[in-house]
Amino acid sequence: MNILPLKAMFMLAWRNLWRNHRRTTIMLAAITVGVWAMIFMTALMRGMVDDMLLNGIRSLPGEVQIHHPAYRDDPSINNSIAAPDEELLKALQIPQVTAWTSRVRVPAVISSERDTRGVVLLGIEPDSEVQVSFDADTIYEGRFLEDSSDRGLVIGAKMADHLETDLGKRVVVMSQDPDNNIADRGFRIVGIYKAKLASLEETYIYAGRDTVQKLLKLGDNVSEIAITSEDYRNVDNWYPRIKQAAGEGVETLPWYEVDTYLGSMLAMMDGFVLVWIIIVFLALSFGLVNTLVMAVFERVREIGLMQALGMRPSTILYQILMESLLLLLIGLLLGNILAVGTVIPLQAGIDISIVAEGMEMMGTSSMLYPALKLNDMIMANVIVIVLGLLTSILPAWRAASYDPIEALNKT
Amino acid sequence: MSSIVCKDLCKTFQQGEEIITGLDHVSIEIDAGDFVCLSGPSGSGKTTLLNAMGGLDTPDSGRIRVGNTQVDELGKGPLADMRLHKIGFVFQAYNLIPVLTARENVEFVMQVRGEPAQERSQRSHQILKEVGLEGMEDRRPAQLSGGQQQRVAVARAIVSKPTLVLADEPTANLDSVTAGQLMDLFVELNQNHNITFVIATHDTRVMAYARRLIKMRDGKIISDEKQQQPQIED
Amino acid sequence: MTITLRMAWRNLWRHKRRTWLTVGAMVFSNLILVFSISLQLGSYRMMIDNTLKSYTGHMQIQREGYNDEPKMRSSIDAIIPLADKVRKQLGSDTVAARGVAFAMTSSEERSYGLQIVGVEPEFEPNVSTLPGLITKGSYFEHSNAEEIIIGSVLARNLRVGIGDELTLLGSGHDGSFAAGIAIVGGIFESGIAEIDRSMAQLPIGYFQNLFGMDGRGHNIVINAPELSQLSSVQHAVNNILTANDRLVVLDWEQLQPGLKQAIQADFTSAWFMYGVLIVLVAFSVLNTQLMSVLERTREFGVMMALGVKPARLGSLVITETFVMSGLGLAIGAVLGIAMTYYLSIVGFSYPGMDQMAERFNLPDRMYPSLSLLSIMLGPSIVFLFSLLASIYPAIRLFFLQPVAAMRAV
Repeated sequence: MNILPLKAMFMLAWRNLWRNHRRTTIMLAAITVGVWAMIFMTALMRGMVDDMLLNGIRSLPGEVQIHHPAYRDDPSINNSIAAPDEELLKALQIPQVTAWTSRVRVPAVISSERDTRGVVLLGIEPDSEVQVSFDADTIYEGRFLEDSSDRGLVIGAKMADHLETDLGKRVVVMSQDPDNNIADRGFRIVGIYKAKLASLEETYIYAGRDTVQKLLKLGDNVSEIAITSEDYRNVDNWYPRIKQAAGEGVETLPWYEVDTYLGSMLAMMDGFVLVWIIIVFLALSFGLVNTLVMAVFERVREIGLMQALGMRPSTILYQILMESLLLLLIGLLLGNILAVGTVIPLQAGIDISIVAEGMEMMGTSSMLYPALKLNDMIMANVIVIVLGLLTSILPAWRAASYDPIEALNKT
Repeated sequence: MSSIVCKDLCKTFQQGEEIITGLDHVSIEIDAGDFVCLSGPSGSGKTTLLNAMGGLDTPDSGRIRVGNTQVDELGKGPLADMRLHKIGFVFQAYNLIPVLTARENVEFVMQVRGEPAQERSQRSHQILKEVGLEGMEDRRPAQLSGGQQQRVAVARAIVSKPTLVLADEPTANLDSVTAGQLMDLFVELNQNHNITFVIATHDTRVMAYARRLIKMRDGKIISDEKQQQPQIED
Repeated sequence: MTITLRMAWRNLWRHKRRTWLTVGAMVFSNLILVFSISLQLGSYRMMIDNTLKSYTGHMQIQREGYNDEPKMRSSIDAIIPLADKVRKQLGSDTVAARGVAFAMTSSEERSYGLQIVGVEPEFEPNVSTLPGLITKGSYFEHSNAEEIIIGSVLARNLRVGIGDELTLLGSGHDGSFAAGIAIVGGIFESGIAEIDRSMAQLPIGYFQNLFGMDGRGHNIVINAPELSQLSSVQHAVNNILTANDRLVVLDWEQLQPGLKQAIQADFTSAWFMYGVLIVLVAFSVLNTQLMSVLERTREFGVMMALGVKPARLGSLVITETFVMSGLGLAIGAVLGIAMTYYLSIVGFSYPGMDQMAERFNLPDRMYPSLSLLSIMLGPSIVFLFSLLASIYPAIRLFFLQPVAAMRAV
């Protein structure tokens, strides 16, 4: 085997790299900027989608939901389900489930003496609801509901503005019972909440579940059962178990099917990240190939000499590839450091409230928290190395296939 | 026993519109341990013949055997192996790898051959001393004079104990004192290590050192004579 | 061809491969830029068009404060005469008055709280695409018809068809109880789920009657003939309103700030990405030109010894870059046009995009739209940055010492 030992190849590559330090520096700068852009942009995008998903999942659906099969198409009181039976209760004990709650969720109309609005009325069981979706911290005036039979009402700050009402005042909530009789009831506002997304404040009002069940003559029935776990990405591991326990009569769905927009965003972002990394790489690859072509071109005579001394063409190929690898590795190192160094200070959040309403259309809030994911970083690094070496094969192969005599005589 | 046997070698080159004859039915045998000069004006075919012997260039027709190896039957890779193990090369200039020091240049070939580090450093030290470069082992080629660079090239050529050293105009860029010293070194190595030397040159100073002087013109051998080699004092 | 240009051209082809690789980097970036900018500008226009045409309109006259707090009582008095006046003064039919209220809307089986919009049947079709999208029944005959038009999803949820009765319960303008009955006269299908699920329209006469509006309404929608003429029309409308200082004219950016901001956000992030591509191209050019200057040090030394001024050599280097970038621009733009044109015909889609598109009122296949701006913007910037990148190599020539340069390898 006439192949140079790795150490010798490495040393030779290293010294060759710095023979033309300007070219190497410029190329390193390009790789660094490219890798930084890959990781930085990906972290921003991931942060946005994470926020979107967490907002989406937390601000109601729950990671897995159990409904009447017709409920999603027609979210009416008529499509309610019975409270969880024993089998389902047992299934909900599995360790992956961190919390679950059952709610009544119906379209309603809320009126103050000043104005009337369409809303979604949620009859909730406060203790478990807090664990699944509602952030009790977001109550900024008054209190949250105390228990299922609480007779008070909690509404959003925006809604309070619209209705020109306030804490302690009375409003009328109107909905229909299963026989389509109008059911209405006066509520005293006991709490006002602020949500990250203004549209939520305008949409959801909260009342005690028992109170709502009584108002709508629902008995023990509920509209949905919402379940959460530790990580929304892993629902597939456990939701089939719940689905089985819930039985055939109801529909048990993971979040990405409940809200296909959220589900598709996740998939789309995965694709987008890959496309972005590859585009940046391609833009880099021209410079990389150029650098290697130049490096080989300047050293034709030397390569001829090495061949005359008995280095096999394959050894020369490896030698050039080693040089490319070294260049890529240093660039990657610097790019990664730069990316981490710029993302970490931003992790407290980037204020993008200038475009808050635009971001809200997409479902994200006005603070952007970049999310540096190990997987994304690994993907970017692997893509750069693998594709980088692949594109280097061409110039390296050219170098290896020089005719030694021609190469030696090159001036 | 003959170290090199060439039979009926032919080679032509295309240069622009013209076809140039490099080798025109050349046959030659060179004995092991001989010290041969190929001489002739440029374009006479001496470099082509030298390259053919070293497996750097392939003739259009004819056969070459070096030692027990039938050179014309080998592919690129095995040719490289043959050069690595059996043949040392010394060129006119640009002989060294610029990013490596004198010692590393010598060790480079051994490294490619896969020899252990300790033996490498021992031998390279010894051989650099033998060619008179003690104390300059860690200089890079740019820090050495032309003669010193050629000495490093010679050291590298013989470090792997080749049976044959092929040198192409080794003295072209050297002044006459340095050239003389280099030739003395060649003769000494030829005698002490029994290495066959084939040197292509048009430098008359070099020809004087040959035991066998072959003159070429237009791709043909026009004379081939033995001569007295000057004695070298140790 | 001047001698400099001729020299530049020949110099470029001394290293064919290097030149093509550098041009290749430009072409690649230009291709991406032409395509994405066309796609971007095309989809922005479509987002704006679709959103504004379906309902919002280019601008609206409202009571001051109504946009932030759309309250029943923030209304415009005698809205129909005002709308007539605007129509007359602008000489335009694309003006329509509306009223907005909330009501609990019940069919026999279902009840939903809905936003009810009162519209002028005669003029509403001029400002909104919805009346034209009626798939069942027909639009209002006259302003006092006791009919309601609803979206297809809403009709399904309420379980009603043409001719069925809906009961409306809500509060009137003075806060009193408002109740009435309307017959479903038409059902439209816009394809935009949000609109089909929530939109209900009454003719404005009946609307005013039902909600005790007493001739009042909430906004007057005005469309300019083209989006580009928006500001002049807005100016004209402002002049009409001088008499009533409590009314304001708001353009779509104020009415739909989310739309504008979503575009801004998208625009910003897109330009971050374009910026990266452009910088990478600039590095490529910098590298190539620096190398080409360094390897010609001796040549330049000789030229300087002959009396050529450094400025002349510098301009040679810039000219070389100019020619190279020109090639990149031309090839990139031509390929970009070809690719984008092809996609503007067959359309372009991406898995998951349809869901995203729906949120912004876009169709599920995107069709990039080519314009001079979208074609030239990206490549021109790449061109500019390439020239900038060659300044450093060119400047180096000013520090060249002829004698030392001639000795260089």
